[in-house]
Amino acid sequence: MLTRGTLIYIGQRLVLIVFTVLVVSFGVFAVVHSLPGNAFVSDRVHGTALQILLHQYGLDQPIPVQYWNFLKGLVHGNLGVSLYIRDLPITPLVLRELSVSAMLGGAALIVTIGLGITFGVLAAVRQNTWVDYLLTSIAVVGYSVPSFVIASLGILIFGQWLNNVSHGAFFYPEPWTGTYGTLAELSLPAIALGFYTSGQITRITRASMLEVIQQDYIRTARAKGLENRIVIIRHALRNALVPVTSILGPTVIGIITGSVVIENIFGIPGLGKEFVESIFQHDYNVTVGVFTIYAVLIGFANLTVDLVYTVIDPRIRY
Amino acid sequence: MATLLPVPAVEYAGGTLAGEQVSLWRDGVRRLRRNKLALAAAIYLMVLALVCLLSLFWTPYKPNLIGTCVTYALPTGAHPLGCDDLGRDSLSRLMVGSQVSLAVGLATAFIVLVIGVALGLVAGYFRGAVDALISLATNIFYGVPPLLVAVALYVLLGPSLINIIIAISATGWMDMARLARGQALSIREREFIEAARSGGARAGKIVFGHIMPNALGPIIVQATFVIPAAILTAAFLTFLGFGVPPPTADWGGMASEGLPSLQGGFDPYILLWPAVALSVTLLAFNFFGDGLRDAFDPRQKR
Repeated sequence: MLTRGTLIYIGQRLVLIVFTVLVVSFGVFAVVHSLPGNAFVSDRVHGTALQILLHQYGLDQPIPVQYWNFLKGLVHGNLGVSLYIRDLPITPLVLRELSVSAMLGGAALIVTIGLGITFGVLAAVRQNTWVDYLLTSIAVVGYSVPSFVIASLGILIFGQWLNNVSHGAFFYPEPWTGTYGTLAELSLPAIALGFYTSGQITRITRASMLEVIQQDYIRTARAKGLENRIVIIRHALRNALVPVTSILGPTVIGIITGSVVIENIFGIPGLGKEFVESIFQHDYNVTVGVFTIYAVLIGFANLTVDLVYTVIDPRIRY
Repeated sequence: MATLLPVPAVEYAGGTLAGEQVSLWRDGVRRLRRNKLALAAAIYLMVLALVCLLSLFWTPYKPNLIGTCVTYALPTGAHPLGCDDLGRDSLSRLMVGSQVSLAVGLATAFIVLVIGVALGLVAGYFRGAVDALISLATNIFYGVPPLLVAVALYVLLGPSLINIIIAISATGWMDMARLARGQALSIREREFIEAARSGGARAGKIVFGHIMPNALGPIIVQATFVIPAAILTAAFLTFLGFGVPPPTADWGGMASEGLPSLQGGFDPYILLWPAVALSVTLLAFNFFGDGLRDAFDPRQKR
């Protein structure tokens, strides 16, 4: 499977990822450092005291020099220190938040793929019946309704109306407990996050199932007396999944982007919450660090999806 | 279709069947009309546009006037949608909020159309180094989460409606460029382009005079999907607090203002109305876009 061509392809993609990370981090670096005000606005320090602080954190140097220092740190896996909570190292902080976000994103991905493929297959098998119409409508609702609306509805239903019934298991008005939350606390954010992208997966799965079902080998499988369930799952779905893989990239990006909003609603201590807070707090180093991590993450997510593509469809070679 | 059957000259009230030759556009419009869902969506969007126009001149109360009624007032006869946390009339604010959504949606679609189509067609027509450069830029933009770039741009440019539009356009042009590039790649090989080239037409004339009109169908369909996507991104931005500066009403910001009172459990309506308005509007744009695609691009029909 790992032919020479594939290795060259992976190499090219890695170069593109590195290039993207450089461009993105420099762009963000330039943006945050040209913002009005400085990192220590909230401290109300002026004059010499401010100059000393700026010098201490290297913020008085020209931007290219600062960026060069940032790159030197990045190569060693050191993203610098926070300017808001002074001297807090960013790398461990961001990695912990990344693990929280990854857990949320992973749960959302399971929701998205599970819902999307199930709905898509059911809709295709029952084409032009009420099942089909219902499921395709749910799919359109899925990618039309903003995730914060789904999340708010969830809070309203589970947190308010059912609160007395479930005795706090679904009590959402409070931010979640601990770093990773409990499974009950995770479920609603994951569903709110995954529902949006599941609509597109439903759509594509349905379309490609409809195409595959009409093919001759499906008729052959039926003709030799296989059970319908086995024909659908083992013969049709397997081939219908190829186009579905192609939108996994945008799906993952959608989940990463959506997690920024969801984490802020539910008070989840992840990367997305940190991103928004760091901007409001003028914590330049954290903003740049989080952005860099996002760029790396998306680069590798896309690369993984493209490689999964070759596994599912061996005809594709790079 | 080996043999051509003789066409019987059927006559009916509207004339002969053979005489009924319609253009692609009229055929598309007719198919669009038969799609009830798309029609309903179109009617809703027209009503929304009227409400938006109306709100420019008249609202039941002044949308930004604090204390028109008791704070957190539930819906009553005088205030059919209730009041928000500062005692502002929710209906008036909902009406005014449509301005931001429609402005962002339409303006972004226009900018994306211009930038994406120009870059895509040029890349697809010239290929080679130009294509490589434009494709590299596209790939870099695909490599970052659009919402975060929009946030960064928005923070850089400062809070205003124009800057929201710029930020969203800057992160939303890639799909359009890719579509236009694909169209240009396939159309440039057709005979009439060769004819135009041998007739001495300049590259600009070929790209924008010959290729663009023939690629317009899928491009317009794609543009109708840019509108809901832009409204959605704008709602996310304003919901996170990167929106039009207060006190201007917009649906995303209204929803985020309503979140505390929903979580506190005393007034879900402040959040409910903008959430419903946003959802229905996005649904309508998506249904209309689906109808448009099915009508004008039947090959893509699901």
